[in-house]
Amino acid sequence: MYRFIWLKDLKAAVHTWKGLVWLLVTALIFSAASYLFLTNRELSLLDQTEMLWLLGKVIIGAALLVTVIDASSLITAEFENETIESLLLSPLSLGGLVLGKLLAALTTWLVVYAAAAPYMVVTAAGSRLTGAFLVYVGLFGTLAVLGFTLLVLAVSFFYRSLRNTLTTSLVILLALALPALFSPVLKTSTLARIAGVANPLDSIFAGLDNVLVDYHTGLAANLGFLVPVLVFCVLALGFLMLSVRAFQRRGIAKD
Amino acid sequence: MRRNLLPLVLVAGILYAQASTPLPLVVSIRSERALSGVAGEYITLEAEVVNVGTQPINSVTTYLSLVDVGARMPVDLEDWSAEKGLFIGTITAGETLPLVWKVHLIRSGDYTASVVAEADGADLPVVSRVTYLKALPKRNLNPGNVLPVALGEPILLVFGFLLLRFWRTRKLRPD
Repeated sequence: MYRFIWLKDLKAAVHTWKGLVWLLVTALIFSAASYLFLTNRELSLLDQTEMLWLLGKVIIGAALLVTVIDASSLITAEFENETIESLLLSPLSLGGLVLGKLLAALTTWLVVYAAAAPYMVVTAAGSRLTGAFLVYVGLFGTLAVLGFTLLVLAVSFFYRSLRNTLTTSLVILLALALPALFSPVLKTSTLARIAGVANPLDSIFAGLDNVLVDYHTGLAANLGFLVPVLVFCVLALGFLMLSVRAFQRRGIAKD
Repeated sequence: MRRNLLPLVLVAGILYAQASTPLPLVVSIRSERALSGVAGEYITLEAEVVNVGTQPINSVTTYLSLVDVGARMPVDLEDWSAEKGLFIGTITAGETLPLVWKVHLIRSGDYTASVVAEADGADLPVVSRVTYLKALPKRNLNPGNVLPVALGEPILLVFGFLLLRFWRTRKLRPD
């Protein structure tokens, strides 16, 4: 039954071309970024790897923004449109509903990744990192999107208004994204290092740096960056399960 | 008074001379005097360290020193070589040990490379002769490749939207 929810959300997304304008804007961001990077003739070989790292951050950042906004509306919109009761009265289980919504959000990520792939191939040309760039942006991006979608779906069950879900989700994303953008100089204290390991975005960006700038392309060499993101996904799943259980206890009625 | 001070001065002089005595090590680069490659390539720098003394030397560390001739600045080896230094430990009398560095030519330019050896308790390091490295520029960046993608993908998407709109309008039109 989760397939019904998944396809329903996909059909809603492509119902009109206006619903896909975000994809055009995302492609324009990738166009502008890759064109600016590649037309700078002063870039050397070292700068090219750093440029790939920057492009990887742009791709994962844009994908997270799009999927967090999209996932915020997936469940809360059912509350706002008062369609949740009909869904819950159908043979569909609550777990099936959540799984269908999760797959819809992951499909959005797949679309963003497919749109970004040609840019990644062109930008990495000549660096012998094309395969690693595609694989690791895909791997880190999938885990990041999975973790954040689970988190946003969990938050969705606490609110009945899209504005609240969206604001909370975006603030969480911003709170995790800002420290990850700080320079390594500002991350020398013990507290900053612990916060860096606990922050999934920090691990993702450091992992991309390890692959693209330090040429550690093996999976074993990147386990230290993948494990914190996996832990984040497991914690987000746990939070979602708690949130679903709380919703089952309280029901649809607002607090 | 002068007589009393003389032995002290002599002992101090001997100790200073011993501390400043160069290590009985010879470090030499076996690679050619000038090496070159295209930026992005790896070159191998071969050297050797020989203990020409009669006693073993403990805690010997050798490291590569790279200087950017154009910028007149030493180069941070972080991205250039995975092995910045090679710890040898003990080198016995008369022993010769090979040293190999795989150097990744990161940035184009002219460089000088030398190998330095140090040991615990020795004040003076031993330095090899200089080898000249030339990293030729490589243009990986091809703006000509990115333009079709940077322009093509948004155009394809707009075309797709128009098709979707056309299909929806046709579907909604009454027969």
